[in-house]
Amino acid sequence: MWDLFNAWLIAPFDYGFMRRAVVGGLALSLAAPPLGVFLVLRGMSLIGDAMAHAILPGVALGFLLAGFSLPVMSVGGVLFGLMVALLAGAVSKMGGQREDAAMASFFIISLAAGVMLISLGGSSVDLTHVLFGSVLAINSTALLLITGISTLIVITLAVIFRALVVECLDPLFLRGQSRHSGWVHSVFLGLLVLNLTAGFQTLGTLMAVGLMMLPATSARFWSKRLEGLIGIAVVLAMIASTGGLLLSFHLDIPSGPSIILLAGAGYFFSALFGRYHSLAAKLRRKTTPLAVEQGY
Amino acid sequence: MKATPPARLQLHDLHLAQGQRSVLEHVDGSFQPGAITALIGANGAGKSTLIQALMGELRPINGEVVCTVPKKRRAWLPQQLALDLTFPMSVEELVMTGSWPSHGAMKGYCAAHYRKGREIMARLGISNLAHRPLGELSGGQRQRALIGRTLMQEAELLLLDEPFANVDSETVDILIRILRQMADDGVTIIVVLHDMDHLQRLADDVLMLSGGHGRWMAPSALTHSPATAQVVPFTLGEHHVGSV
Repeated sequence: MWDLFNAWLIAPFDYGFMRRAVVGGLALSLAAPPLGVFLVLRGMSLIGDAMAHAILPGVALGFLLAGFSLPVMSVGGVLFGLMVALLAGAVSKMGGQREDAAMASFFIISLAAGVMLISLGGSSVDLTHVLFGSVLAINSTALLLITGISTLIVITLAVIFRALVVECLDPLFLRGQSRHSGWVHSVFLGLLVLNLTAGFQTLGTLMAVGLMMLPATSARFWSKRLEGLIGIAVVLAMIASTGGLLLSFHLDIPSGPSIILLAGAGYFFSALFGRYHSLAAKLRRKTTPLAVEQGY
Repeated sequence: MKATPPARLQLHDLHLAQGQRSVLEHVDGSFQPGAITALIGANGAGKSTLIQALMGELRPINGEVVCTVPKKRRAWLPQQLALDLTFPMSVEELVMTGSWPSHGAMKGYCAAHYRKGREIMARLGISNLAHRPLGELSGGQRQRALIGRTLMQEAELLLLDEPFANVDSETVDILIRILRQMADDGVTIIVVLHDMDHLQRLADDVLMLSGGHGRWMAPSALTHSPATAQVVPFTLGEHHVGSV
């Protein structure tokens, strides 16, 4: 029994790359889910997806210039992601088009440009690495980058937390209260880009968004409070990233998809058995009479 | 009560437009501290446009809005539909966000703030709902929580857009009492109303918007003047009378 436990859960971490990958995954699991929770609450769930595509050309350019160097690719990704976010914001202000429409246009252009750039300069193996991640890619520099970015995200989020909450609920109130209200949204989008850039190394650009969104959407089935949502999402993300890495190690499958599929399994489980709004909760409601609440 | 203090909000020959379309022209007036002004007019008469201008969200084409109340002490309570009330936040947390002007975005709340928040909730009769999520409240309870936020904010200028819509009569009574108290404390209150009964109970002045112009009148004028027969249905928007 102990041998099995050891072989499955402990032994893989004898390898340095697995240790680095799991630390990176845990760091990301602290930073990504809170962003996802805010995206879900603001009805912007798909923006994360769009941004994930938007960083691709930058990553690809970095790849063309410096080979498979994570810092260079990350800087490229951040710059490109921020540029797309700014452009989308500008277009939506200019033409009265909603931000999501502008974002949708930009991200598909970015995706095409990114894939084009990578295939110009590399092989399909490189493309797979960038799109779907590779635990083997995480060296000490990359780990420092991931943990550094995650720390920055958590601290910044703590600083703008109240403003972000107020903006979700009542943007007009925030605008009345603070001259910097416009910044809150921009800083938030910036954090999103940073997080996706940190995530693409283990998860790949397309999968990085999963660690942000799936724990957040799953948490909706378990809590009705903001702190609860964030806490549960973080725990789910940590389980998914660690478990996914182990699965990827043992079954020899790509790390990104296996982490995200595990998070996806968590989502289905939550949707079926969660405390609120899940299938089980609906069935429970049918069998027990509703408590009659006196009030207006 | 409203003897001499200078008006903190004045309109001078205000001309407002939405895009290319003029909405209001030549609107003058002053809103006194401690006075409750009802803003009435049919749908599309320009109530929302005027409120946008008062809040500094819309730049006038001509004329000016002179407001000596600092932006942080201006409170604007939109119609409930404009807010995302499914956000996972409790009544107490909503009320506490009103402490922003004195407290900023970073600092944590201290005991004195929580005490003040609890006093406010007691005043509004929502103490028992302090930890209830906003999404589970009724229209009347929400409205009280939102008023609680403006009390916390120590607003000096308060604009409300149909605060009594979708609200039970007990809440209406409480809100009218609270708004009266706020006015007695010197707050300038402007409230968009449709219900003439509420208007009679609450308003000191009436600014009626119609045909692109503003007309000041006393609340009594709406019930006692011979013109009432036309004015009331007109302001309620029940009949279509002319347009800009």
